[in-house]
Amino acid sequence: MVKIGIIISNKHKKHRLKALIKYLKQKAEVSIYREDNYLLQSSPRHYFNEDLFFIKGKGNLILSLVKCIEKETSIPTINSFKGIWLAMNRFLNSVYLRKAGILVPDYTLIPEQMKAPFKNFIIKNIIDQKSSTFKPKIQFISGNLHVSDERAVLEAQGSQRFYHYYFYQRFIKSKWEYKVYGIGDQLFYFKQVPTIKNPHRVKPKMEIDKIPELEELVLKAKDALSLKIASIDFLKSKDGLYYLTDINSGPNINTIENGPKIVGDFLLEQIKK
Amino acid sequence: MKIGLLTKRTTMLAGKLIEFFETNNHEVTPYTLADLTIDKSLLNNDYYILKSKQLFFLYAGYFIEANNLPIFPNPNLTYKHKNRIEAHYLIKKAELPSPDYFFGSYKALKQNLLNTHFPLIIKPTMGSGSRGVRIINRIEDLKPMKGQLIYLEKYIEGTHYNVYFIGNDICALEKPPLSDEHAEMTKVKISSDMKEFISKWTNRYDIPFGHLDLVREESTGKLYVVDPGTFPEFDNWKCEGDPVSKIGNILLEKYKNLKNKK
Repeated sequence: MVKIGIIISNKHKKHRLKALIKYLKQKAEVSIYREDNYLLQSSPRHYFNEDLFFIKGKGNLILSLVKCIEKETSIPTINSFKGIWLAMNRFLNSVYLRKAGILVPDYTLIPEQMKAPFKNFIIKNIIDQKSSTFKPKIQFISGNLHVSDERAVLEAQGSQRFYHYYFYQRFIKSKWEYKVYGIGDQLFYFKQVPTIKNPHRVKPKMEIDKIPELEELVLKAKDALSLKIASIDFLKSKDGLYYLTDINSGPNINTIENGPKIVGDFLLEQIKK
Repeated sequence: MKIGLLTKRTTMLAGKLIEFFETNNHEVTPYTLADLTIDKSLLNNDYYILKSKQLFFLYAGYFIEANNLPIFPNPNLTYKHKNRIEAHYLIKKAELPSPDYFFGSYKALKQNLLNTHFPLIIKPTMGSGSRGVRIINRIEDLKPMKGQLIYLEKYIEGTHYNVYFIGNDICALEKPPLSDEHAEMTKVKISSDMKEFISKWTNRYDIPFGHLDLVREESTGKLYVVDPGTFPEFDNWKCEGDPVSKIGNILLEKYKNLKNKK
């Protein structure tokens, strides 16, 4: 029987993966590594005998553990350290996605006291590492839309003086927000009313048919950031262009119909390769 | 040439380098955290020097590199010096010994650490220098911090050294334990194993200047690398020559190499 290691933050996250773990246990030996009780140490090194690791989380210990597995063994990690790290660093993923030829909204990283660089903008947290959700403060100033995520403000006003920076992204007005889940090469398309339009009453996502332009962009973005599993958000501008606005290395797989089975089969398939 | 200097401050070594480059007819723009804007407006220099390892300078470094402009030292190598776990692998890959480490939550440390593991040193996961560094003799010396991870390293009883290197020049100094680069230090003779360590380090990573913090264990005489640094201040350089002009010339030479590679 093959062995799969699942790396998660804590017991609450384990609960979210209940269906996946149940499915995998029918076909593999499953071991769970929890960030809140795992001790990473250089010696004696923990002996890993898994055939593959699935990572759901992006805390510093998880990242270090993944780094350690990648350095010390040849066991595949899904996602890789590079993929998780780039996905959670908004500024860096914008840099590399744009370099790969993917359209991302204009962006900048500037000290908090400096003037906003765009008329319509959204201030996002620079490092999207914690599990808290998007809490936008929305203002219309002289006909322009200014949105700031509470997490970004807290991040910049924290105790570390050097951290007083804001990540600005030019706001793209769009009727729908598109979310594509990529499990390997299998893509699942959804759309919803953008959160900004009604942040307190988020409408459920609707599954939609494949959009060929998005298929190309998602595969290219996953490749650019070395991600095997991801969810990627897009907004469509009035001139019909899709802008990649967000990328997540640990999507909620329960959103997809039969998501746990699809992900489970994908992980098992990766072991065979 | 237009040089962009990514630096926390414009005094000390950064200030002296600005003066050196200006004397050599180059135009220098320092970028500090008060005015560093990371977007297209940053890309108007010919060459960039990454003096600081702080996060936003690293972001600027990655951005400059992604836009195909020459920058030195390499941002990713600088990041790896800053992150303790990454630094551990850098040292290991260079086939040099480093102290054992433990990294986890207070709960995980309390459950797993044995009395024989102590004394340990607590260090920030990211960063160098001596801020927040102290000896932990027992688990009770640690305070539980909700949601915080703790990095501990085996404390090696012995003599502590700061060993600078610039090109082929090595300058070894004995320093007080757990002190930073600016403490009072005494110049010492360079031992053969120190030379070997520096040679392995510089050859492995093609690093023309920097420093290694070393400790010689009292009980075994074995030398360990406890902290590597890409761009120290060199304010304790007590050896021959002026470190500023040596480094300045190396940086100008590096520009030529990087430009030829493009």
